[in-house]
Amino acid sequence: MLAGNRERHLPVSERTGGAGAPPVWDVVVVGGGNAALAAALTARHLGSSVLMLERAPVEMRGGNTRHTRNVRVAHDAADEFLTGSYPAEELYGDLCGVGSGPGDEHLARLTVERSAAVPGFMAAHGVHFQPALTGTLQLGRTNRFFLGGGKALLNAYYRAAATLGVVVAYDACVEGLNSTGDGLSGVVATVAGRREEIAAHAVVCAAGGFEANLEWLARYFGAAADNYVIRGPRYNDGTVLQALYDAGAASAGEERGLHAVAVDARAPRFDGGIATRLDTIPFGLVVNRHAVRFYDEGEDLWPKRYAIWGSKIALEDDQIAYSVWDQKTDAEFFPPMYPATTAPTLPELGAALGLDPVVFSRTVEEFNAAVVPGGRFDPTRLDDCRTEGLTPPKSHWAQRIDTPPFSGIAMRPGITFTYRGVAVGEDGRVRREDGGVFANVFAAGEIMSGNILTSGYLAGFGLTIGSVWGRIAGRGAAEHAAGARS
Amino acid sequence: MQPALEAEANRQLAICNACRYCEGYCAVYPALERRRGLSPADLFQLANLCHDCRACYYACMYAPPHEFALNPPALFSEIRRQSYDELAGRPGRVLRPLTKAAGVSIAFIGVAAVVVAVGLATVGKAGLSSGGHGPQSPYAVVSYPALLGLGLGTGVAALVLMARAARRYWWGVGGGAGLLRLAGAFLGAGADAGSLRYLRGGGEGCDYPDGRPSAPRRYLHHLVAYGFALCLAATAAASVEQDLLGKHPPYGFWSVPVLAGTTGGVGLVVGTVGLAVLKTRSDPGPGDPAMAVRDYGLLFGLFFLGASGLAVLGLRTTALFGTVLVIHLAAVLTCFVIVPATKFVHFSYRVLALAKDRIELGSGGSAGG
Repeated sequence: MLAGNRERHLPVSERTGGAGAPPVWDVVVVGGGNAALAAALTARHLGSSVLMLERAPVEMRGGNTRHTRNVRVAHDAADEFLTGSYPAEELYGDLCGVGSGPGDEHLARLTVERSAAVPGFMAAHGVHFQPALTGTLQLGRTNRFFLGGGKALLNAYYRAAATLGVVVAYDACVEGLNSTGDGLSGVVATVAGRREEIAAHAVVCAAGGFEANLEWLARYFGAAADNYVIRGPRYNDGTVLQALYDAGAASAGEERGLHAVAVDARAPRFDGGIATRLDTIPFGLVVNRHAVRFYDEGEDLWPKRYAIWGSKIALEDDQIAYSVWDQKTDAEFFPPMYPATTAPTLPELGAALGLDPVVFSRTVEEFNAAVVPGGRFDPTRLDDCRTEGLTPPKSHWAQRIDTPPFSGIAMRPGITFTYRGVAVGEDGRVRREDGGVFANVFAAGEIMSGNILTSGYLAGFGLTIGSVWGRIAGRGAAEHAAGARS
Repeated sequence: MQPALEAEANRQLAICNACRYCEGYCAVYPALERRRGLSPADLFQLANLCHDCRACYYACMYAPPHEFALNPPALFSEIRRQSYDELAGRPGRVLRPLTKAAGVSIAFIGVAAVVVAVGLATVGKAGLSSGGHGPQSPYAVVSYPALLGLGLGTGVAALVLMARAARRYWWGVGGGAGLLRLAGAFLGAGADAGSLRYLRGGGEGCDYPDGRPSAPRRYLHHLVAYGFALCLAATAAASVEQDLLGKHPPYGFWSVPVLAGTTGGVGLVVGTVGLAVLKTRSDPGPGDPAMAVRDYGLLFGLFFLGASGLAVLGLRTTALFGTVLVIHLAAVLTCFVIVPATKFVHFSYRVLALAKDRIELGSGGSAGG
């Protein structure tokens, strides 16, 4: 229980019904994560009365932000926490390098340009930073880490929101949007079990993607979705996104666009977060259900490649794959949360993992035979340990798997968030299918990430999108509300 | 260590070690990251390195009601409690009943009776009822050799027991030997402990009592710790005045012993009351109820020492002097008797854990916080 929140636990109407409470809120923010908070704080600074409707109970507030740890932003120079400069041009180049590049180049450039101001906004609202975590040094120049991670950032933001007078309703599920044709007059929500009509001059939708809606996923991925692990909370079921579509919002982003990583197959179905992901892949081999390799495990530095493995595994039979390594590299990576399966011989490991031991041993032996001798293993850079004459190759960090005990872990695709959402303009206003824009509806965060991301992912960029667009949406909503009031 | 607790610690800390978001808060998480597989000794070390600032609990997305149910502060409190009991050994088990409310009351009355009896035997009836004409000397109630014998006997016994337990801790966690090597580590550990470096949470103070960063706990702890140290210094100063300078009590208000004792006593009283008030308001989520009982016990004991000491000073010109002196002496001696089985010992394990951490980091190294 987080103290200081108890009074904000009341149903909204108990605080809105009294004298002095606005009959119409200037800005209603739907959501409770980073983007929602950036919008709420920004709107409140501009003088709006702001109500946040967070679907989760207070202890679980914050959506996917709970599981984040850093934000990728452009900066001119090294500082106490970052090891070097990261010019906007380089960030934009990195963004173009993932998947099929940005969805809307103008909006992507805008995101990159505005990213530089994000750390200042965070620090001004009580967020503390720290150097890159041990084992993530490759992100030390580009990504700013939050002291204590995403939930600590959320706690700081919620404290700032309370101080500024943003009203937060928890257990507040928005079920409908009251459409006026070219905008919204408010929202319909169930707050702590009670149905409420909440009127607003402007609405910011920052309610995340639909990754926790398994039926929705199945529409695009079929039965494979049954084997996906959802890394964030079960609240991100796309209710608000669907309501926006129903009100006539235009969609942006690809149906199958998402950020997915390799997670332990034993992870809980929902909300397992960072602890269930595996960083073992570049240190060994990955085989599929048929005990056969299917992708270059050493293609590039891990922070640049960790985000492709979820989708790679999703394409294999039964959406499962096995990371295997030997004793030599056992201490190189973050120790996995769940213990690895270990065995003294390769056939025994294969059998213990439920694979055909003969095929598995042959796969490893073929790999071992293809390792070019004499390489110098160095996990911090693209080293010269590689295979020759093997398909697919292992381009870096290829060491023979020959030192018992041998270890392995089964992996599933772990979905962080979906990209398909609503289309927005550069002021954050949600665009309509008929070609117009909603006058007073704004979107920020994962719900509009499809404007920028198509496929693939850049570590820490989800928070960048949420922070930049939360501020844009919050400003737009506050300015619209000021106009509507007068 | 209880196998169930050891298993639960390994379950929770495997998740922590796979996450690592908290490594910037304190020395515990970097120390965890240096280990693979946690022995009971490792758990004792991590638990005693933990200052219960609770920053990690509030930053943790896996804290209850999440199904991973991570709660490192409560876990470490429970392990610390077990480490105190295990390391105190048989003497600790014998003394433990005396640390409970009923036990300590009986002990106190018993010790008070001994003090009175010794006073009667060495000075006589007049001592106890003396007073009312100027500041009194304690030796007007109990003779100096008798008082010295009582104090030294119980005090040395307590020190020996605590030193044995500390030695057991040090060898258990693999602290090792070597004067130069240890000197640097213990100097650093002393600075870390003396400044309560790891009770700063995310920088603005620990998340205590209610999940928001705040500084008072650290300052109140300083009042108690340095108040206690001043009381010890007052005793030492009195001994210097008496045995080296030949000046016998009573001492004037502006003398070193009285001034140090008064300041220290006020620190103890204010600090313990403040910490107890904070504790009553503290979030039970990251707490260990059984440790909280011991915390209150220690706070009460230190408060009683401070308050009775101040009463002796305040009443030393009145007819009540004999009575309050007996109460204060009985309090001090009772504390000496039971201290190896109380939360007081957290001080020595904390310093040892910090020193071991310094050694792991390489002498003079610094950890996350």
